[in-house]
Amino acid sequence: MSTSHIAPFVKSSVTIFKDMLGLEVKSGTTENEGDSFASRGFSVIVGFTGGWKGRFFLDMTGATAIQLASTLTGEEYSSMADEEVLLSGAELGNIISGNAITDINNTYPGLNLRLTPPSVFAGDDLSMFNVRLNSCSVLIDTSAGPIKINVAVEEGKK
Amino acid sequence: MDIKHINPFISGLLNVSGMLGLGGMQRTGISKREKLQTEHDVNIIIGLVGGLRGNVVFSMHEATACNIASTMMGGMPVSQFDMMPRSAICEMANMIAGNSVSNLEQMGSLVDITPPTLVSGKNMVSLISQVETLVVQFNSKEGPVELNIAIEE
Repeated sequence: MSTSHIAPFVKSSVTIFKDMLGLEVKSGTTENEGDSFASRGFSVIVGFTGGWKGRFFLDMTGATAIQLASTLTGEEYSSMADEEVLLSGAELGNIISGNAITDINNTYPGLNLRLTPPSVFAGDDLSMFNVRLNSCSVLIDTSAGPIKINVAVEEGKK
Repeated sequence: MDIKHINPFISGLLNVSGMLGLGGMQRTGISKREKLQTEHDVNIIIGLVGGLRGNVVFSMHEATACNIASTMMGGMPVSQFDMMPRSAICEMANMIAGNSVSNLEQMGSLVDITPPTLVSGKNMVSLISQVETLVVQFNSKEGPVELNIAIEE
């Protein structure tokens, strides 16, 4: 697992948070996570296959998710379990990962990455576990709260 | 969602549970998923890309997951849901998805799967895809298992 996997996702996330949502983004810290990590409570998951197989996670607290959804839709929400909060999270995951894999496919022709539709999980004491995948995280600090970007990759055959 | 894409997953699950020696896995029902709440605390997601695009999610209770892991490891008692049962249950999901896509391939649809991810937690709400999700319920000696299938057109 090298940083070349996560860099396009971080770049794309920062661009979307700044340009689309108008958030302030402060520099992040990187972490090696191994095969599992504890969620902050709200997680968007997008899978990809092709030359690299793996997952992209966007992990945040419920409060951050509510704030992001409000910024997107202009409405107020009281709970992170609101369908529109989940849908906003899914849409963000979709946009960010879509941008990132376009970037990756342009940089490494022939990888041919493709995305699965996003899934969103929210709840208490969430933990994520990826079998035989190593993951790397970048924690970025935004004006809506900290957001963790995690990418887990298994390098497949090209 | 086309119903003909559901059968390969049902037979995939039944095939693999037979292979692993799970006790009397049977389909007990099929329904549309109407609420976001899931009462199951163990969920394994596998993504589908290619001829079909979507997600399948296996959901079950922690106790069922431990029982399945125990059966898969030849009856070794599994009391805690730690790394070993997690790994075993992900492997089962991977085998089922693999079996299902080879069934789909025979129908002329080439589908690639992502590695499994296990999400566990309490009081969970989940959105599996932005499309209608079908839930197929199964029951076995190890406990009930739900198969959520969300395929985009």
